[in-house]
Formats: sequence, structure tokens, C-alpha cells
Amino acid sequence: MNTNIIEASGLGKRYGSTWALRECTLAIPAGHVAALVGPNGAGKTTLLNLAVGLAEPSAGRVSVLGGQPAGSPAALDGIAFVAQDTPLYRNVSVADMLHLTRNLNRHFDQHYAQTRLSELGIPLKRKSGKLSGGQQAQLALTLALARRPRLLILDEPVAMLDPIARHDFMASVLTAVADDGVSVLLSSHVLAELERVADYLVLLSAGQVQIAGEVEDLLAGHRLLTGPTAQADRYTAGPVVYTRRGDAQTHLLVRVAADDPVPPGWEAHPVGMEELALAYLREPGAGALPGPSLSGVAR
Amino acid sequence: MIEFRLDPASGVPTYLQLVQQVEHALRLGYLKPGDQLPKVRDVVANLAINPNTVLKAYKDLETKGLAVGRPGQGTFIQAALSQVALPELAELRKSLLGWLTTADAAGLDEDGIVALVTRALRDFYERCPGQGGRGGAASGETEVVA
Amino acid sequence: MTAQTMPTRPAGPGRLRPVPWRRMAWVNWRQHRVALAGVAAFLGGFAVYLWLSGLQMHHAEAAYCHPAASISCAVNFTGPYSESAIIVSIVLQAVPALIGAFIGAPVLARELETGTFRYTWTQGIGRLRWALAKLVLLAVAVTAVAGAFTVLFAWYNQPWAAAGYVSPFSARTFDLLGMVFAAWTLAAFAIGVLAGMLIRRAVPAIATTLAAYAALAFATGLWLRERYISPLVTSSASPPASSWAISGWYTKGGRFAFGDHGSGIANTVRQICGGPCHGTHQDPAQLLAQRGYTHWTSYQPASRFWTFQWIEAGWLLALSVLLIAVAIWLVRRRAA
Repeated sequence: MNTNIIEASGLGKRYGSTWALRECTLAIPAGHVAALVGPNGAGKTTLLNLAVGLAEPSAGRVSVLGGQPAGSPAALDGIAFVAQDTPLYRNVSVADMLHLTRNLNRHFDQHYAQTRLSELGIPLKRKSGKLSGGQQAQLALTLALARRPRLLILDEPVAMLDPIARHDFMASVLTAVADDGVSVLLSSHVLAELERVADYLVLLSAGQVQIAGEVEDLLAGHRLLTGPTAQADRYTAGPVVYTRRGDAQTHLLVRVAADDPVPPGWEAHPVGMEELALAYLREPGAGALPGPSLSGVAR
Repeated sequence: MIEFRLDPASGVPTYLQLVQQVEHALRLGYLKPGDQLPKVRDVVANLAINPNTVLKAYKDLETKGLAVGRPGQGTFIQAALSQVALPELAELRKSLLGWLTTADAAGLDEDGIVALVTRALRDFYERCPGQGGRGGAASGETEVVA
Repeated sequence: MTAQTMPTRPAGPGRLRPVPWRRMAWVNWRQHRVALAGVAAFLGGFAVYLWLSGLQMHHAEAAYCHPAASISCAVNFTGPYSESAIIVSIVLQAVPALIGAFIGAPVLARELETGTFRYTWTQGIGRLRWALAKLVLLAVAVTAVAGAFTVLFAWYNQPWAAAGYVSPFSARTFDLLGMVFAAWTLAAFAIGVLAGMLIRRAVPAIATTLAAYAALAFATGLWLRERYISPLVTSSASPPASSWAISGWYTKGGRFAFGDHGSGIANTVRQICGGPCHGTHQDPAQLLAQRGYTHWTSYQPASRFWTFQWIEAGWLLALSVLLIAVAIWLVRRRAA
């Protein structure tokens, strides 16, 4: 399936005189677990709110599920969103949250939801406000997955969870990916755990997209060169993302084609996702890989 | 059936860790031809990793001829790891020990030897692209260190 | 790399069948059952009280008040029951404000305050449909309850009407009879809904609702209502029975002289006497009439009761629809 699960072109959102997001052009293909990474205030939540129709663009446009306008009935029907801190009706029991969600949607897999909750040991009769943080997150996720969405959007899903709850939560998300092939877009400022989870990366910094692409391609397109400082300024083989200079030795994180030769005198190392993301986030000026291929936007 | 584990500090890509653990288990006899590898879903549920990563590891094992996917059933071990014949292995070990003695005499300590071997391995595999590029180099690295 | 089972549901771009309206009824009930049950318990208890004391009043009136101006009627009916009847009417007049504050204001404010709108507004039903269903259903429910109370109160009030104590335009009866009570309840609900949407926090929205409702109710009772239709004018000593006197003034020679409130009368009388009129026990009205002053009274006749009910219910209904429409429009366009 070649549809883009999210497409944005020239997308911008302004609050008062501040642009929370600007000139965002993006196309995330279906079938990925895409991570939206950036420091706090980079515009992650804004982009997600635009994608689920909670916010209206100030500029540009955004479509989802292969060309549906964000927030349209078809888009709402196919997207499940778990907002930051997983807001639920605190005074409503787990069973009634299920019933509520069922009544607010065209599709709801009650059997799936109940089975999942009983596997997780979440009592149906308890008020959702009385559940632990991890259980609340799992309940919100269950409500979302039982809608059988084509796209699951999670805003900072594990920020408030302890390590075990984080692991269990992400395992649940990824199991759903394995079972249903649901596409996932999640935002996070915790890089370390995304490495094993995400296979598509979007880096946001100060309201703008720095890089976006499949993790594998991004990693193959970068390497870390280590060599004598004296030669560092003479490196011209390709764009340098980030430089860490010592007296004798300098590390350069450079963008390369996969089969570029290593310049003589330099030692090349592959880079990891965290290293790559940190390098870009430290250099907000670096970025702008060749733009993504848009299909549905230019109508 | 084996249980995978992940070492987040190793720096080895996740899919490669899975591949190496299968190879290791084959070498040690924990896995035999016909054995089933864990289902993708179970690996994902246990390790909280991207299913595509598991698929990639299993595909890698298939490419190497070690495993075969049977639609609707799962992935099964197909062949034992192609071991070098035992007499040759002893011979290689003997010559390596001789080289180590020379290195020791030249004043290299253990860390120095590891760095040198790692470097040589990388250079060797980078000159021979047939051995699998980046992944191959990293793979070689761990096996030597281990 | 993406060799996965793909979504079980097709990507049908065609028009989707929306979530049925009736499902929202359960959602409403589940979410507001505490508030609704509280209101129902309060109003239910109040209704039982009205019924029981209404029965007693009916019996007392039937037994002792023929004729109505008798001492036995005063001793057995108007005396013992007038205090509770006044309290009943005061409590009833507060009901619309309470419904506006405690049902109307929190409906949207609570969602915005707790962040649950990010859950609700991203469900398949869509926020427009959600808001429409929720607000219209609740509006109909509170209006229906108020309507039922009007019927009950009309029955409760019958003995007083029979005994001639009811003037149709007194606040005690005009506000609580006919269609106006239900209309005020609806308006209070709508004020609460919009206040909640604008203020986004429940407690300040409740306070604002009470203040806005009170301001509107007073402005209507003291200023607006008497202007629905130009009042009739009479120069007879007093306007017809049961009518609503608006104002009075004196003319002399066809020209306005002074109003019958304030210092106009006293000053003129003093002028006529050439100083303070010591020792005279003459009625000033008589004195003024002798000197060519005519007293006029403007009034709304009792026959206009239903016309006024229609007018007031009409503009309140229009206002309520407008306020709820604005609230729904804000829900649609509100940026998270």
C-alpha cells in the first residue's frame, strides 16, 4: 500500500504572533511506526493536533489516510488519537468508558477491548481516575485500538510512565502493529527508547522539520568520521551536520551516499538513531534533506 | 524455542542482535534444523521492538540460508551454521595463538590487541564488499571480542 | 520491509454512514447522570411537596372561601398558606438559574477544563455532531422538566386564582405560568453552555451564568416586559382590575404637568394652598382634580397575558437558539 498516512505541505500554525509550526512539508507512508522527535516546544503537539483536526492550520494544508482532509468524518473514523496525559473521564468506570467509546464511533471491537483489559488485569468496575498511570495509559490505548484505526496517533504516550509501564505500553502498541498493520505516529522527547520502536523519523526543531525519512535510509545516509583536527576544515566531500572538535582529533557527523569512499586519514563509524537525532537537534541550522514525495496534496 | 534479549548499550543494531543470537544458539546446539523461531508477534510483545525489525532479522537469516519462512506457520531453522571443518579450526587457532604471542612480545596489552584486530577486521571487510558492509563489520567485531 | 498484513478495513473514500444520533442519548445520560439525578431528586422532592400542600390548599379553599372575602377564608386559607406559597414561588423562580448554572455551564467547560475534549472530539462521531446531539438533547430535557413544573404550579396556584389573589402580571405568576417558565429555563441553560465554552472553566462559568441570568431576568422584569406592547391609558380613578399599572401622571389643560411619583404632587399642593396646608384634611387627589388637573394611568390589561407570554417565550427561545448555535460554532472552530 503506497498511500501516505499523513501529508503536509507548507503547513503552519500560529498562536497569536508566535508560529508553533511553520513551513512543514512532510509525507509519511503507511505501514510505519513514525517517531516525531524534538525538544519541548518544538511543535510536536501542534503538528499532531493539526493531524487529528483539533487545530486548524494557519497556513498550508494537511491530509491524512491518503488524502482525506484532517478532521473530516473519514479521517476521524480511521484515526485514533491518544492525547498527552491520556485524558479520560475520571468518574466513569472502565466498563462505561468502553461503552462510551463504542457509542461515539461507528466501529468498536468490544470483545477485543474486554479481552485486552482482562489480560492487563484492569478491573472493569474501577473508576478510570482510580487506575494507576500505566493502567490509564493502557486503557486509553485499548479504547483507541478497539476502534480498529488505520492510523494511531500518540502524543508523548510514555512521558509520565515508569520504565516497566513504558515497556508494556510500547509492547502493546507494537503488537497491534504486528497484528493489524496499523500505522503509528508518536511524539516523544525521549530518544533512547525510540531507537528500537520507530522505523521512520521526523525531527522537529523550533517549529520546523529538520529531517524526515525512514530510519534505515537516514542512518545509511550518515556516518561519523574521526580524524586529525588539522584535516577537519578540509573535509569537503559532503555536508557536515555536526562537528565535535578536540585538540588532536575531531569527529564529524556527515551526510554521505551509502557507497561514498571514506576520505584517506579518516575513520568511519556508522551512526545510531539517537546520535543522529542529537546531532541535528544541536544544530538547528542543519537539515532539509531532499523533500518528501507528495502525492495527494497537489490537487 | 529461544528467547531473544537485547543489549541497548552494545551499539549493535537491533535486528543484528537477533541474527547473532540465532547464530550463537545454532553454534552452541540450542537450536537445530526444524526448530521454530519465536513468532514475530511474540518477539514484539516481549521486547517492545518494531515488528519490521524482527522481519528484517528473519529475512536476513533466510538470505543466509539458515532459516526458512513457512507461510501461516512461522519461521523455522533450516540448516546448521556452516562450520569450518574441525581440523582446520584447530590449525587456525594455533596460528592465531602464535600471532598473539608475537603481539604480546611487541608490548601490546589485551586492549591494544583488540583495537588492532578490530581495525584490521574492518579494513578487511571494507575491501571485500561481498562480506556484507557495515553489518558484516559490526558482526565481526562482536565475535572477536566475545 | 513492509511485508505486513495490511489493515483489515478498506480505505473507502465514499461517504460514511455517521454514528447514529440515538447513541448520544446514552452518552449524555452516562456523563451527566450525577447532575441530572441531583436535579431530578431536588425537583422531584419539590414536586411532591407542591402536590401535598396543593391538595391541602385545594381543600381549604373549597371548604372556606365561598365567598372569598370571608373571615373564614382568611383564617383557614389565605392566612395559613400565603407564606408557604410565597416561598414556593421564590424557589421556583430560582430553578432556571440553578439548571443553567449546574447543568448548562459545566457541559462544555468541564471537557475543556479537564482536557477530555481531546478524547471526545477525536472520536468517530465528530465534534459537531457530538455538540449538536449533546446540547439539543439536554436543552429539550431541561425545557420539558420546566414545562412539567409549570403545569404542576398552575394547579397549585388554582385556589389563589379562585380566591382572587392572583394578578396575572405579578412576577410571582407571570414568570411561573404559561410558557415563560420553560423558556427562561432554556435560556438559562443556553447562557450556561455559552459561558462554559467561553470561560472554559466550570466554577467561573457557573458564577458568570448566575450573574448573567440574574441581570437578564431583572432587566426584563423591571424594564423590558412592560414595553412589549404600548400600554393603554386611562383617566379613571384606577385601572381595570387585574391589570398591570405601569405609570401615572397629571396633566392640566391637555399638557403634561408632573408625574405621580416624586415631589410633583407635594409641590403643587403647597403652591395651591399658598404654603403648607395646615389643618386641611382634604384628599390631595380631590384638591388637584378641583384645580383642573387630570390623573392618567398607563397599564397593561389582563387580557394581554397570553400575548405577553408568547412574546417573552418567543424572544427567549430565539435567544437560546442563538446562544447554543454560537456555542456549537465555537466548538467547531476552537483550536486546541
